[in-house]
Amino acid sequence: MIQFQQVTKRYPGGFEAVKNLSFEIQSGELLFLAGHSGAGKSTLLKLIAGIEKPTAGAVLVNGQNVARLSRTSLPYVRRHFGLIFQDHKILFDRNVYENVKLPLDITGFNGMEAKRRVLAALDKVGLSGKEKLNPISLSGGEQQRLCIARAVVHRPAILLADEPTANLDRDNAHDILELFKSFHQVGVTLVISAHDETLMADYGRRILRLKNGQFTA
Amino acid sequence: MKHWLRLHGLAIARTIKALLRHPFSNGMNLLVIGIAGAFPLALYMVISSVAGVAQKLPVEPQISVFLKTDAPAEAGQSLYKQLQGHTELQQVRFVPRDQALKDMQSAVGVDDLLAGLDNNPLPDAIVLKAKLSTPALQLERLQKELAANPIVDSAQLDSAWAQRLQHLLSLGQTLLQAVVVLLAVALVLLTGNAIRMQILTRHDEIEVAKLIGATDAFIRRPFFYFALSQGLLGGLIACGIVAGGIYWLNPAVADLAHAYGQQFTLQLPGPLEAGVVCGVTLLLCSSGAWLAVRKHLRKFH
Ligand SMILES: Nc1ncnc2c1ncn2[C@@H]1O[C@H](COP(=O)(O)OP(=O)(O)O)[C@@H](O)[C@H]1O
Ligand SMILES: [Mg+2]
Repeated sequence: MIQFQQVTKRYPGGFEAVKNLSFEIQSGELLFLAGHSGAGKSTLLKLIAGIEKPTAGAVLVNGQNVARLSRTSLPYVRRHFGLIFQDHKILFDRNVYENVKLPLDITGFNGMEAKRRVLAALDKVGLSGKEKLNPISLSGGEQQRLCIARAVVHRPAILLADEPTANLDRDNAHDILELFKSFHQVGVTLVISAHDETLMADYGRRILRLKNGQFTA
Repeated sequence: MKHWLRLHGLAIARTIKALLRHPFSNGMNLLVIGIAGAFPLALYMVISSVAGVAQKLPVEPQISVFLKTDAPAEAGQSLYKQLQGHTELQQVRFVPRDQALKDMQSAVGVDDLLAGLDNNPLPDAIVLKAKLSTPALQLERLQKELAANPIVDSAQLDSAWAQRLQHLLSLGQTLLQAVVVLLAVALVLLTGNAIRMQILTRHDEIEVAKLIGATDAFIRRPFFYFALSQGLLGGLIACGIVAGGIYWLNPAVADLAHAYGQQFTLQLPGPLEAGVVCGVTLLLCSSGAWLAVRKHLRKFH
């Protein structure tokens, strides 16, 4: 489903964040991405979603080279993904409901069915009844759940989560991972990054370990 | 099609929300657009009102040619004959000096104007009425030609004031063009800047939307609707300002005209003028939006 072919990403300034990586992610897989801060986890996720373009090599999503996509077709490919950003990117000028609805607005999906989906997503992550709140009033764990609701509301086939458990206590982190597991169970492909590997161990899935932009054993 | 309509409906809804979120600054912006549009419209209404009246005024251009008192009578007659053959003149009248004296006496109401004089001091005259279609320049040339004739003492072009009005009107038209060009540039820059500010304040929203799969068209749409609404409302405000101003001024204008024995009021802008003004502001505001969007949305990926 997702294929990296000798992918290198060099940022302007010359720093190589990802070095000659080749690997494949199967459809329906739950994959962890481990590594210290600066290892290249975020860069790798951005390469999958076409947010960054590889300097060398190719990133294929469903056989399509993401870097080769035109400016007009890239948005439609992005909609296959649910993205959970490391810096959340919550919009504080609107309430929880409107934040979660954004991916549906983009595709022109609205009306009763859209409302139903937003409420279902909020229910799924345990934020029922908080639709009208401004996200600023949510706790750290609740904000993370909001991000998850926004990432799944349009029912994407692939979920990319960048350090969704960072800054959360152990219980909250476990709840979040349980949530991801439930998406995995209904067939969603997941790539989850974290700098704390101890959490992942409990889930016994495939783990890719990154260090200085390269895999370690 | 239905999908397309829905996308636009959503964009319009978001535009209205955005307008209402900052009612003061958007209102100020609208007022500036309205005032900018009101200037040329007002100028245009004044020019077209005056031009309308100027056309209706009975200004038969007339040249009065006064011959020298010592000019031989045959020379006067031959000039008279020559002028009768002129194609641009609809009437050529010879006024002998005696006739002129009689006319003057009856006009003034005195029987014996010459009581204290030896003889009639008035010259023979030829009065020329040109056709209405005669261009002013040609009349002026004829007047100069006649004035240069050795038997002619003076030649006066009596439609000089009408020409001055024409000159004034064409000056007004040039001024109008200049004002339109300047304000057009100002409106484009003004809207461009307003859109730039909006892009800045909505930076986060645009960034997230693009990251999760919004098309460029989706991002641009609300800015264009914003610009269109500003153009349309601004144009309507311009028409309102001008209509209100003229409505308020007209009694005074009518009084003034009446004092000169004329009936004259300024015309109110009609549907055509309003349509043109709104169309132009619409076009200018969307050009400004287009420029700003092109320049400032490119950095998002
Ligand atoms: N936009 C960028 N420009 C330049 N360097 C960057 C950029 N983004 C990340 N980097 C660098 O690339 C390396 C990997 O970053 P990142 O992928 O964010 O790592 P991680 O998510 O594992 O912490 C870091 O050293 C970081 O400084
Ligand atoms: Mg990171």
